Amino acid sequence: MAQVSWRNREARATSRAVSAARPQRKDVGLLGVGFFIVSETTFFLGLFLAWFFTRNTSDVWPPAGVAPPPIAPAIFNTVVALLSTVAVFFAERALTRDDRRGLVRGIALAGALGVLFMAVQAAEFTDLATLAQGSAYGSTFTFLLLFHVARVFVGVVLMGVVLVRALLGHFSRKRRLLVQATAMYWYFITGVWLVVFAVLYLIG
Amino acid sequence: MASISIPIPLRERAKSGLLGWLATVDHKKIGVMYMVMSFFFFIAAGVMALLIRLQLAAPNLQVVDPNTYNQLFTMHGSVMIFLFTIPMLVGGFGNYFVPLMIGARDVAFPRLNAFSFWITLGAGLVMLLGFLFGARSDAAWTAYVPYSTKSFSPTVGMDIWLIGVILLGIGSTLGAVNFLVTVYSMRAPGMTAWRIPMFVWAMATTAGMVLLATPVLTAALIMLVADRNFNTQFFTTNRVQLWQHMFWFYSHPAVYIMILPAMGIISEIIPVFSRKPLFGLRAVVISTVLIGLLGFTTWVHHMFVSGVDPAIERFFMFTTMVIAVPTGVKVFNWLATLWGGSLNLKTPLLMCIGFLGTFVIGGISGVMQASIPIDQYVHNSYFVVAHFHYVLFGGSVFGIFAALYYWGPKITGRMFDEKLGKLHFWLMLIGFNITFFPMHFLGLQGMPRRIATYDPGRGWEAGNLIATIGAFILAFSVLVFIINVIKLRRGAPAGDDPWEGNTLEWSVASPPPEYNFLEIPTVESDRPLFDARMRTPHV
Ligand code: HEM
Ligand SMILES: [Cu+2]
Repeated sequence: MAQVSWRNREARATSRAVSAARPQRKDVGLLGVGFFIVSETTFFLGLFLAWFFTRNTSDVWPPAGVAPPPIAPAIFNTVVALLSTVAVFFAERALTRDDRRGLVRGIALAGALGVLFMAVQAAEFTDLATLAQGSAYGSTFTFLLLFHVARVFVGVVLMGVVLVRALLGHFSRKRRLLVQATAMYWYFITGVWLVVFAVLYLIG
Repeated sequence: MASISIPIPLRERAKSGLLGWLATVDHKKIGVMYMVMSFFFFIAAGVMALLIRLQLAAPNLQVVDPNTYNQLFTMHGSVMIFLFTIPMLVGGFGNYFVPLMIGARDVAFPRLNAFSFWITLGAGLVMLLGFLFGARSDAAWTAYVPYSTKSFSPTVGMDIWLIGVILLGIGSTLGAVNFLVTVYSMRAPGMTAWRIPMFVWAMATTAGMVLLATPVLTAALIMLVADRNFNTQFFTTNRVQLWQHMFWFYSHPAVYIMILPAMGIISEIIPVFSRKPLFGLRAVVISTVLIGLLGFTTWVHHMFVSGVDPAIERFFMFTTMVIAVPTGVKVFNWLATLWGGSLNLKTPLLMCIGFLGTFVIGGISGVMQASIPIDQYVHNSYFVVAHFHYVLFGGSVFGIFAALYYWGPKITGRMFDEKLGKLHFWLMLIGFNITFFPMHFLGLQGMPRRIATYDPGRGWEAGNLIATIGAFILAFSVLVFIINVIKLRRGAPAGDDPWEGNTLEWSVASPPPEYNFLEIPTVESDRPLFDARMRTPHV
């Protein structure tokens, strides 16, 4: 049998003393978040598929006797979402200049806006529960809001973690993976909201 | 040979014993756990299949009552697909061999990897325990509404099934993220796109499909759970097609999720055992990726009797026929690789040849069903059952056994008994064909699938009896395999490279050390080990 130079037989002796669990390149984290976001997008695509399928197979849309929820809170929340995205953007930029105070301020503002977003939706949820049980239209409407706001919740938790760790001084221009990942996810959440808003409230 | 030295972080001694397995984040141990788990589920679902075949052996038998029968085929299908084929191919072989074949020390996110495994095992146990303790679903693996709605499946068994499949989907989605990042960013220096091993190409494509398909099923499952428990109205009145669209949007790609890794395995083994390079390597890669893409364009071929707009149906008939083209390309590439090769007819190659023969038959019945007028006749009949067993058992499962015989020595450090291996192969090939070939005729004679029994005098007796006999031969062949595994303990030592392989996993010890490579190899062609053999004189 042929010998191969990298076969490293002598390695066997030390094999139990070393660990394998280490990626060879450093940039894998953001890539992972990117692919995760692809799968999240697919999930919402599934829900939108349900929405458009139901819409196309209904004679009346929204169904007779079902009133679409008021648009005002949704417009308000669109503004909130956009503002929070701007805040995240500036927080991330601040970190590239090693401006930790800018980071803390931006993330705190964005997180607070995220909480506001959730509060506005929560206020609507009793109406939405009835809506969801009344028709396929209502069920899909509610699910799209519900699963989006669940992502907002995850985003807010992530920002909480970032905030604490920023205050503890864990981040710098060179160490900012979690900040970048959180920002990426937040942009995604805002993007989903814009589509949800357009489809549910504007197109109807 | 050039290689790059990367310091390995020294950590505490790798834990041994049970804790070493439970707490492991090593891709190889996780891979082995996936394999053991999947094989266990394979046996469980196989026992269910034997019960199904016993019940159908002759007209009007009462081996199990009709309700149990429905629960059995539901669980048989779900377990074989979700808890055996996918986790064995993707979780088992994918985890163990993708990092080794690309010259990496582990996957990109080892902890996430462990999490995926435990969530998969947990979901599997929930489903199986629910089944054993009587909380069973009986709406088939397709869970079509309205069978699966509260009115027709009122018990909690349906919810357990749904939640199990949701969890499995989450596990495999996270696993897919892991694979894609690993293959993208952790390849050894020099491993450019055309030098990536075929199995890794197949796994990356599969992971991409998981990422773009599984969440849609997850959404549908959650919607159904909500309909059943929170009175939402997704699938009520007139919305049965919505379930079918969402289900098949996932489940057609899922059949490629189950076959692409097996095709990747075949593409690795055939060149090694033909002592030739893979014929038309680029064509094989391109057809893999094409199958991955086209796999998303054919799902309505499962709905040709569901009342879809005929124009849409015709579009999907066309795409379904188109997807047979890249599949055919691969078959010709494999044949051309075998052609004129100096064949080393060991069990791994025999399994590949078994794959080729049976898979092609399944592909032909697939193209037949792609045609709307034919499908309207055979839909929901045993013809469909014959088709998907030819592709899934004849394809994926032969591929799985090919991989077990090929890579088993690498994983265990021991060689299988060739005689038993050959016996296993022949029994399996014969048993398989005796079981499933008659089902083509049964289907054409009008026997519907998913019926608990049938009256005599329809001409179905002989076919069913033959199929049942075949099933027991098949089960016996698996027993031979199990004996072969038990005998491994006393098998001959495998050495690093028993087959004169082409890919990097054969450059390390069998079983490989925990960190895989002390020095990360540099790759200069698609067959790095062949290069190395050519350069070093034989001793
Ligand atoms: C040449 C490629 C293929 C074509 C053209 C094809 C076509 C089809 C069609 C038209 C059906 C629907 C039959 C019906 O229900 O009336 C079908 C069913 C099925 N196919 Fe294929 N197929 C192909 C390959 C495969 C492969 C590779 C697999 C899996 C490894 C597979 C697995 C299945 C399964 C599981 C079903 C039945 C699903 C169910 O109703 O439970 N097929 N195929
Ligand atoms: Cu299909």
